[in-house]
Amino acid sequence: MLSLIQVLTSGIAIGCVYGLVALSFVLIYKATETVSFMQGELLMVGAFAAVALNAGAGWPLWLAAATAVAGMALLGAMLERIVLRHAIGQPHLVAVLLTFGLGLIMRGGLTTVPAASHDIYRLPFADRVLQVGALALSFSHVLVIAATAALAVVLAVFFRHTRAGLALRACSENARVASLMGVPVEAMHTLAWALGAGLAAIAGVLLAPITFVHLNMGLIALKAFPAAVLGGLTSLPGALLGGVFLGVVEALAGLALPEGVKDVVPYAVLMLALFLFPDGLSSGWRGRR
Amino acid sequence: MSLLRPALLSVAMIAIAVGVLGADYALGQATLVTTYAIAGLGLVIIVGQAGQITLGQGALVALGAYVEALLAVRGVPPLLSMPLAVLLGAAGGALASVPAWRLGGLYFAMSTLAFALIVEEMLVRWTSLTRGGAGLSVPAMAWGGLKADTPLEQVVVSVGVLSLVWLACARWMRGRLGRAWRAVREDEIAAAEACGIDVGAAKLHAFVLGGGLAGLAGALYAHWIGFISPEQFGLTFSFELLMLVFIGGARRLSGALWGALVIVSLPQLIALVRDALPGDSSRSAGLETMLFGAVIVLAVLLRPQGLASAAEGGRRRGRGRAPY
Amino acid sequence: MPVFRAFVALVIALSALVAAAATPGVSDREIVLGSIQDLSGPAAMLGSPVRDGMLLRLEEANEAGGVHGRKLRMVLEDSGYDPKRGVLAARKLLDHDQVFAFLANFGTPVVMATMPLIVEAGRPHLFPFSPHESTYSPLHPLKFQIFAPYQRYMDAATRYMVQSRGYRRTCLLYQDDDYGLEVLKGVEAGLARVGQALVEKTSYKRGATDFSSQIARLRAADCDFVVLATVVRETIAAMSEARKTGWMVDMLVTASGYSAQTHELGGMAVDGLYAVSVLPHPYAAGANRALADWIKRYRARFGVDPNVWSAMGYSIADLFVRGARAAGRELTVARFVSALEHLETTRDFFGSPEYHFSGEDHLGNRYGRLAQIRDGRWVILTDYLK
Repeated sequence: MLSLIQVLTSGIAIGCVYGLVALSFVLIYKATETVSFMQGELLMVGAFAAVALNAGAGWPLWLAAATAVAGMALLGAMLERIVLRHAIGQPHLVAVLLTFGLGLIMRGGLTTVPAASHDIYRLPFADRVLQVGALALSFSHVLVIAATAALAVVLAVFFRHTRAGLALRACSENARVASLMGVPVEAMHTLAWALGAGLAAIAGVLLAPITFVHLNMGLIALKAFPAAVLGGLTSLPGALLGGVFLGVVEALAGLALPEGVKDVVPYAVLMLALFLFPDGLSSGWRGRR
Repeated sequence: MSLLRPALLSVAMIAIAVGVLGADYALGQATLVTTYAIAGLGLVIIVGQAGQITLGQGALVALGAYVEALLAVRGVPPLLSMPLAVLLGAAGGALASVPAWRLGGLYFAMSTLAFALIVEEMLVRWTSLTRGGAGLSVPAMAWGGLKADTPLEQVVVSVGVLSLVWLACARWMRGRLGRAWRAVREDEIAAAEACGIDVGAAKLHAFVLGGGLAGLAGALYAHWIGFISPEQFGLTFSFELLMLVFIGGARRLSGALWGALVIVSLPQLIALVRDALPGDSSRSAGLETMLFGAVIVLAVLLRPQGLASAAEGGRRRGRGRAPY
Repeated sequence: MPVFRAFVALVIALSALVAAAATPGVSDREIVLGSIQDLSGPAAMLGSPVRDGMLLRLEEANEAGGVHGRKLRMVLEDSGYDPKRGVLAARKLLDHDQVFAFLANFGTPVVMATMPLIVEAGRPHLFPFSPHESTYSPLHPLKFQIFAPYQRYMDAATRYMVQSRGYRRTCLLYQDDDYGLEVLKGVEAGLARVGQALVEKTSYKRGATDFSSQIARLRAADCDFVVLATVVRETIAAMSEARKTGWMVDMLVTASGYSAQTHELGGMAVDGLYAVSVLPHPYAAGANRALADWIKRYRARFGVDPNVWSAMGYSIADLFVRGARAAGRELTVARFVSALEHLETTRDFFGSPEYHFSGEDHLGNRYGRLAQIRDGRWVILTDYLK
């Protein structure tokens, strides 16, 4: 029983990271109808930026992390202005390939830095074990869960109670009508990309204590797609929940099912979900958005 | 003629390449370009004609490659084993297309992704047959006393196979099948209601033929590379194929050849440019990746309809918003 | 007849030219070498230091006047771990760059796809980074290897650990690819020879992030000794997970987890971890003079600290330089191979094993040693385990 809870908390923590990446993916998709295949790279570059500022330039951790996230948001906005704008109104594949190409550029650019291609890094988060009764939780897992919950609240407030948030939602629901109502649709697209890139960077910083910072850490974004789809592709809370669900299912499958099944489970669940609920698991949430 | 120009151009490029690079290197590239083009034709049908996004074509290539490898090791002649590889690829395609009965667009694309990852996992786990992650060595293609193990022989086989399937594809595209696919691509509901097209069957046909071509390409790939393992056919490979048809131009058969040229030869070209440049080349690996990414971005921005359309006098941009 | 003599002289000169050109990659001024590395793919973090280590050794040889007056030049190609790019790179190096030999090609899929082309073309295939047995066996005149399959090291290391420490329940956590399967074979063979069997095994996919379920599974099987077929990051994750939940089981990782990164990143959680080491990590603290000097040179040249992979790259290039020197001024493939087959090296400043090839055996070393992390650094515990 104890080991079950132990495994469960790990699953939730990893699931939160899946969820955050899925969230960034869905945010962009909803607002701009652009499928981004570079969230993994954004996550990695964000984490490396935090490492560079912290270990390289000697900034305190919180400042380095915040600057890295802000910097990635800026990068996202810039990429939207320069490149990704051209994908709007084009077939999905245009965006898929554009973002894939941009991802290669980011990855290649980082590979040219000797320090990045030689080594694995860590961010100096306090690495403690928290004992809750007989349960041992690692601080990094608790941090991920808490940060994700806090972010969810912030985003909910943003989308419900701020002008920009409301405008972004309007734009996602119906860009034409929103533009008629005076919402600057183009600026909203830029904002969506900035938020999406920033969220990916946050996921990267949070992932850093768990998997460390290295060139292949972006692979985790592969799990974010099933999470986003499980959530219905257009629902923000759905994406987050989809991620957590996936993380938990994966962890439990590793514990309970025969050896080797664990790695198929996320995709099998995805297939099943697609068959049972072609509109996504969150189709029931629709009314509340 | 959609066939003539890229064919002539390829011949000219091969001639130049042989002169500059040396015969084996150039022919080796031509072998892989044509093999990738065969898989690309499959995607032209699925993506460009029937308008379905698939993110799992690599898995179908893997099926063909494994069938061919396992049979070739046991001495089955290619005339028998290659059709079996095609058959399994086609069966895989049919299976992958099942979700298309219920799902459309991105949801379906995600289901193909899941399908591909499940196939890859199966290849990893079924160690008694596939030897799992340890991979399989594949003998040279041989039939009786004939053997294709030099680059020249390989290129002859690949070009021969490519020509055959090219003709078949052109036939399918001109006929009823092609019309049904294009109708489904432009507007599923109208196709079904106004024209009486069986949408499900049209999609199934596209996937079966596309999967068969993928299986065929896989069979050749297994021989040319000589060693296959599950990770070679992962998501990156599926993406490479998707990029291939898109950069080439998904709506035309010639797009497959153009795209294969870019995907296979571009990194080689970049490496040659790098060799010609002065300075410390030891840091260049990242630069090569960057350049490759930049070329993709530029190609997509400047030629949203693919290189094939540019080569043929630049047609207008596609109407409406087809899923590809 | 001056015309006839001039003609004869011309023929002799031409044939001398042809003879000189007969060995590809060898001219009066230089020897060209090729290497297919993974510099952008999943193993880029290993490929880059290997490349830099080799470059450093070759540049030093050139500064010292080259090998018999010839400078060494290396053409590097990046395969990104993709055998298709590997095959094309091999053809380029064979055909276009006309390399004399291939050094340290990286990754089993790439090596398996390119090795037949290379030996077919008559070029030596030297010391690839692939644990596959076919890189040296069955004996082929052009194939040389210094890294034994993981199976060999792990067989000996598992036996040594079980015999000297009396474990009863050995378990394995492995990566589900060629690497993990090799280790699995080795551990099973080693256990079988001491009359035991593997109690539980569990795997993960490359890139996995969470090991809680695997560790819970192993713990439930009541293992008293866990062998890890993991790389650096997974090693730390697995061991931290066990320690976090208070499971103080002994763990042994393969040479892939033997890296300074393991304790730099893992901190206290990985203290006490055992590992197999084929070459000691080049620590700056407590280094002998030659090693300290080498670290300084490496840092000056590349701007980063060397690691054990840099040392491997350097050793590989060093073996080539020794072989080429011993082959003499008239360098041909046959002379080079024969020189390598008679080469005997002694331990160098890294503390490397003695490499030794012969006409019957092209595997230069098949032994590893046992190391353990104590107070945040690897300490070598045993000599090479025979």
